[in-house]
Amino acid sequence: MKSIIKKIFLLLPLVLAWTACNDYPIDEDGLLITTRSECYVSSFELLGTDQRSVIVDVATVDTVAQEIHAEVNFGTDLHALWPQFTLVTDAKLEPKVTGFVDFSDLDNPRQWTVVSGNRKVRKTYTVYLTVQEP
Amino acid sequence: MQMKQCIGLLAVGVALLFGSCQDNTYIIPDGVNSLTNDCLKRSLGPNMVGGSIEFAYAMAMPYGSGHLVSASVEASIAGADSTYLEHRSFHTGDSGEDVGVEIGSPSINDGGTTTVTFTKDTVAATLRYYYMIPEEARGKQVSFRFSATDSNGKEVSYDMGPYSIENMDMKLDIELSNNSFFSIEDMAAYTADEAAAMPEKIDLVYLHRVQRGIKFNHALVSPTAENVAAGYLPNITLPAGLDKSTKLFKSYSSCDQQLARDEYGVFVTDRDLSEFDFSICSNYSIGILQRNGFWVETADGRYRAYIYVNEATENRAGMTISMKRLRMQ
Repeated sequence: MKSIIKKIFLLLPLVLAWTACNDYPIDEDGLLITTRSECYVSSFELLGTDQRSVIVDVATVDTVAQEIHAEVNFGTDLHALWPQFTLVTDAKLEPKVTGFVDFSDLDNPRQWTVVSGNRKVRKTYTVYLTVQEP
Repeated sequence: MQMKQCIGLLAVGVALLFGSCQDNTYIIPDGVNSLTNDCLKRSLGPNMVGGSIEFAYAMAMPYGSGHLVSASVEASIAGADSTYLEHRSFHTGDSGEDVGVEIGSPSINDGGTTTVTFTKDTVAATLRYYYMIPEEARGKQVSFRFSATDSNGKEVSYDMGPYSIENMDMKLDIELSNNSFFSIEDMAAYTADEAAAMPEKIDLVYLHRVQRGIKFNHALVSPTAENVAAGYLPNITLPAGLDKSTKLFKSYSSCDQQLARDEYGVFVTDRDLSEFDFSICSNYSIGILQRNGFWVETADGRYRAYIYVNEATENRAGMTISMKRLRMQ
């Protein structure tokens, strides 16, 4: 009887580890892959080098057209802006935002792709900026 | 059997607990039986020419064994003329304020040595020393030897340092009036007429505008034709010869206690200025707010600076700035 209990206790961690690996897969970034298929940007912010918002009011996010429209303050230096995306739960962004981004080429707007929590749905958003006129 | 083992273990644990408490008896250290001294540095942050380094030097001897005769400080590089050692001993009052008690005659500077001669019969004093950093110390290291003598002829000393003296300069509370022209090299603002006489020195234009629908307010703008065309210099006629594109990187909140004076523990040093990456920067800034900061590099790369905005009221022209500036070449 005692030997059976010992064996159970020895095997239990292995069984738990095996099930854990199978139930909670992670992606190449070490993020949890979930069952969520929602894939959208819920809000967008743009910061200057002083880490303060440069957007005049609030950015408009069109989740159907997959477009973000924002008007930035007159005199904003478009060469160095830090975009901040708020995404639906479990989604992630590609490419990652790791520093200031150059938005100065207004004819070729920047694009980012949102990837759903289950990593099966991908939607590419285009960020259109306009500069406030005096 | 198991119950007996538990009781035994418990007894051993209690015995160890008592034993450990009784072993650590405190022994009162022997008192000081002769003249002794101690020193601490009171000032913080980078040391700059024109500024000061402040110390508190304490000396004491047992009551009844004599009295203090003199205290002196020897600096490895003689301080500026205004260097002095307090002839008052300070202690903290009931409300936390500094209370000074005169113990001797005002200090005398002789070369790099500053001396106070005691005129009061006292066995303990804490004197403050203010070393005014001279031009000769720029970019060098300076160290100090504090010493005290008593009526028995005994002398004690305490070495402090070495401390590095920065290469940069600092200027506080520079007033910028509307439509003024600013020189990083001079750390000064000029009128249009003055700027026309020395266009090679002008790096930025300060202006304040209230424009409907946009946040223009306070602005620092390089005097370039591109910035005029972009509308960043409205109603400004640039004097002939002004064309420098000065690099600006805007930040927010204090990066320097010495410039802001209402922040603590953050300082811009020579190293910060010399290693700052200007690859991402602009040559103008509009909508400047109080507490904004700017990392600046002149068009020819000769100077780098950190400018802090001390005061900028939203709807009133005029701005007060403080800056640190490092010559790079």
